[in-house]
Order: sequence, then structure tokens, then C-alpha cells
Amino acid sequence: MNIYLPIAEMSVSVALFLGLGWAVGFLSGLFGVGGGFLLTPLLIFMGIPSAVAVGTGSMHIVASSVSGAIAQYQRNNVDIKMGFVLVAGGVFGSAIGVGIVRILRDIGQFDLFVALSYVTFLGAVGALMMIESVGTIRKARLGQPVSTRKTGQHSWVHGLPFKMRFHRSKLYISVVPPALIGAFVGFMAAVMGIGGGFVMVPAMIYLLRVPTNVVVGTSLFQIVFVMAVTTVLQAVQNQTVDVVLALLLIIGGVIGAQLGAAAGGRLKGEQLRFLLAALVILMCFRIGWDLVARPDELYSITPLLGVAK
Amino acid sequence: MRTKGIMIGVTRLAACLCALVVVSSTAPKVWSLGGEAHAGPARVDERRTKAPTKKQMGPRQPSGTRRPEIKAQAPQAAPVERIEADVSTRSVEVTTAFTGHEILVFGSIDNSQQPGDESGYYNIVVVVEGTPEPTVVRRKSDVGGLWINTLSVIFASVPSYYAIASTRPIDEIAGPNVLDKHAIGFAHIKMTPEPSYQWGFGEEALAAFKAAVIRLKRQEGLYIMEAKDGVTFIGRSLFRSTIALPANVPVGPLVARVFLFRDGEVISAHIARVTLERTGLERLLHSFAFRYPFFYGIFAVLLAVLSGLLASAYFRRAVR
Repeated sequence: MNIYLPIAEMSVSVALFLGLGWAVGFLSGLFGVGGGFLLTPLLIFMGIPSAVAVGTGSMHIVASSVSGAIAQYQRNNVDIKMGFVLVAGGVFGSAIGVGIVRILRDIGQFDLFVALSYVTFLGAVGALMMIESVGTIRKARLGQPVSTRKTGQHSWVHGLPFKMRFHRSKLYISVVPPALIGAFVGFMAAVMGIGGGFVMVPAMIYLLRVPTNVVVGTSLFQIVFVMAVTTVLQAVQNQTVDVVLALLLIIGGVIGAQLGAAAGGRLKGEQLRFLLAALVILMCFRIGWDLVARPDELYSITPLLGVAK
Repeated sequence: MRTKGIMIGVTRLAACLCALVVVSSTAPKVWSLGGEAHAGPARVDERRTKAPTKKQMGPRQPSGTRRPEIKAQAPQAAPVERIEADVSTRSVEVTTAFTGHEILVFGSIDNSQQPGDESGYYNIVVVVEGTPEPTVVRRKSDVGGLWINTLSVIFASVPSYYAIASTRPIDEIAGPNVLDKHAIGFAHIKMTPEPSYQWGFGEEALAAFKAAVIRLKRQEGLYIMEAKDGVTFIGRSLFRSTIALPANVPVGPLVARVFLFRDGEVISAHIARVTLERTGLERLLHSFAFRYPFFYGIFAVLLAVLSGLLASAYFRRAVR
């Protein structure tokens, strides 16, 4: 059965896109990640215009993060104050990102920019995760104690002005670093169609030294709000949010995520991180290959933007 | 997708070859290179037909009952052939279940002089076109190991969709000048680059860009050449042709031009119109997204929140 997507303007197979949503949902449930970094490139491979893939991806992330965010909030795992600082930065970054999407589409370099961003971030994050997980696995084999994070250390981050007290996180730090982290993640959200959890969580842990029990809830809180704002901005500025496509992916995704989470419970944390790192690096190479391999077709056509239909 | 494209390509090629074989046995003299390319499209060569007929591609009129305006003068010896045509579907609805459509273009020749449907006395060409739109063509080059869009040309008007059907391959029907004049055939579509892009590109480079447009549009299935017997005669004057509208046909008005050829010249032409319209949910969502983008964005977010919550509530209950 096929369905005609109103914004992407193409007829697609319902089963195929439900399946895609399922697969991404399964992996995100398995690894406990948002899955945006998998979904957006896969949509582009399937022939969805990259701007529509990015815009629709943000709507998909709202759906897949909202229930988790509410659950975390109910367990009092969200630092609301920190969350709002991150959101404020995120909205700012997202607005800039959405504007840049428009400019890049006009000059025909959006696809290149998306591909380069993905290669850079997936490559860096994948490599770091791979090194960390391999190290942990090796230590566990040798029977060495796995070192845990030391708390209470001070870094350059704590010397900045505009300090604010974050009760839930038991921190008294400058608002500048969380706002900057939020802005950066918001920018990536708009340009790459990802939630940015895989950047935000390590940044909060290692740079801000937010306690781990608060990190996940607070980052989910930020993701839901920033992605909601990003969805509206993409709809207004670029008209690239396809609700029909998003619904297909969401329906497939929720089912996949439940099964993935169940499967993930049977694996150890470092094994999961190793597998995820392998997946991320694979994705990075796949996208990178398209940049360096000589394409079969050198030309491409697009209707001129900004012309009323 | 790709394999399907190749298969279609192969069948088309085979069909064209068949057409060549069939036609060459029955063909009378064609290839009179009528080269007076002065008039606008669909203007009839007056000298040949004696009685001057004049039509223009005028504004939209209720087709079907429309007849070419003929400034009738004293009818002379040879009666004037005239073509009349219409389409089976005047408006095609694009719904969420839209997977393409097929329209039938049919009509008849007044005062047909041909002895039968296989005589090859007349040739008919049907061209169905979508709205011309400005189109950017980009070319990638190798920049330090990365393949990056470097060159681009904007063509002011490229038909979003172009389907052609004819009684035989068009280059057997008329010479290039006639085809150019009426924009019949992919190679004869009028594509003018925007003035600012003309400098710096030689004729060859521009031709490569034009060829790329046609190649890519054919790959997308938007430029279609109906195979052999794209237009068939039924008896002396009736003819019919089916034109495929693919699922990805750009929504908008379509113009169907029907040309009657004799001895390599257009002796009559007719225009019919088809509208493609979004209907139902499809129309609702599209106009919502483009007319009220802010509220559409809010709607998308609410939909996402609702579906996310519903799904997790459902699964929590299922687990317990």
C-alpha cells in the first residue's frame, strides 16, 4: 500500500516507512539513544529530500522523547532551572540553524553541509565511544576495578561569571556554559535533525559535572522543548515538516523502541556502547563515502526556491 | 526503483525499434524539411493549407466545445483538415491514495483524406505538459577529494512534466525546425538560461546542462515518451492516445497539445486542459502547511506529543 506525502510530494510505501521507523525505534530502545542520527540519514538514503528529512526528524524526536521526559520528571530527575537555561540557549541556536538551512538550500550546499556535519560528529563521537568501551571491556577482563567519576573537582568552567545556584544538581556555576551547550545542541538539532543527547549528556557530565541521575532527565527535558520549537520554526521558515511521514515513523518507532529496550536489558552497558560505537562509525563511513566517491550522476535539479507554486 | 526504471527504458527502446520496423515498410515520403520557423507555437502553416486557419494558445476556455477559430474564406478545391481533441479526465484528484493516473487523449480529424487507419497519410503528436517552472541545475566537481556542487545554471522555465505520444517516432514525422517551433520532443523543449548565467558557459557546457535536465527528469519518470503506437487511429478520422501521469507528477494545471501533421508540416492543432488538484486530506494538509505555517507547526508538535504519550500509555498497560 502506498501513501502520498503532502510535503515531500511523493508516493511512498507505507510498510517500508513503518519498517524504517521500527528499525530506528528498536536501535534507539536498545542503546537508549534518540535515534535522530540514524533516522535522518536513512530518510535521505530513501529519497526523501534532505531538508524534509531534517524537518520531519525534529517532529519525530518530540514524539519519541516526550514520554521519557515526563517519566523522568515524575521521578524528580529533572533540574528544571538548568533545563530552562539549556532550553533558552537551545531555542537561540535552533533559530540560527533554521535560518542557515534556508541559506544553504538557496545556494545548493545544504546536502554537503549535512553530510560534513554528520561525518564530523559521528566520527568523533563514535571514535570516543569505541575507545572508552574497549578500555572498559579490557579492564573488566583483567579484573581491574572500573574507575568511576570523581566528583567535586573544579575546572575552568567554574571560574566564569553570572553564577547561578542549581539546587537539583547541587551546583553553583556560571550560566554561560549550559547556555552555550544548549545553543550548540539547538543548532545541531535544526541543521542535522537530531536531538543531540549524545553531545549534551557527555558535556553535562564532564564539563558541568551535573550528577548522573539528573543528566538524562534534564537533557530529555531540553530535547523535547527545543525540538518542539525547532519543528515550529522549520514549518514556518522552510515548510519541511511532513506530518504524514512523521506519523508513519512514530507508529513504527514506538513498537520498535519497546522491543529494543527489552533486548537491551540483556546486554552489559559497555557491550552496548561498543555496538553503538560500531554503528555510529559505520554510519559515518557510509555518509563519508558518498562525499569522496565519484558520483554516477554529476548533475542535480531542483525547482527554484521562493517561487510561489 | 532503479531496476524498474531500467526495465521501462528497455521496453521503451524495444518498442521504438519495433515502431521503426513497422513504419519503414508503410511510410510514404516524409522528411520534407519544412523550415519556415517564424510563427509562434501551434500556428498553422497558411500557404500549405490554402484556407488560412489561425489559432492561438489562448486563455483557458471550456474545452470540448471549443473549436479553432477559422476565418473562412471561399473554400477552394482541397477541403481543409482540422483536428479536434479532448481528454478523458478534465480534473485529476490528488489524494493521499494517489499513485498516478492515466488520461486518454482522443479526437478526430475533420475532412479526413486518408483511406484507412494504417495508411500513414497523417501523423498525430500529443504533448502533455506541466507548468513551466524556474529550475536550478547544479553540477558537482571534485574539490580536494570531495564532490561538491560548484557550477549551476538557472533555466527560467522548465516544464515540470512532459509527456509525448505520436503515431510514429517524431523525427520521422517532421524536421528539427518544425519540432523546435512547436517544442515537440525532449530535445526541442525551450529552455532558456537566465541571463546572468549565460556568461562563462560555452554552448557545449549549456547543452550538457540541458541534457542533464532531460536525463534527470526522465529518471524521475516526469518526462515520458509513450512507446510505439502512442497515438493510434481508429478508422479514417478517429484517434486515441493514453498518457501516464506518474505518482510524483507536480500538482498544477496540465496542457495537452494535439498536432496534426501531413508531409512534415503542422496542418492543424488543438489544445485541451487537465487540472491536477489536491483534494481531501491531501489538500487540507498542504494548504495548512503553506498558508498557516505557524499553526501547522503547532499542530505537528501537538500531534507528536499526543502520539508519543498515547503510545507509551498503551505499552505501559500492555506490560502490566
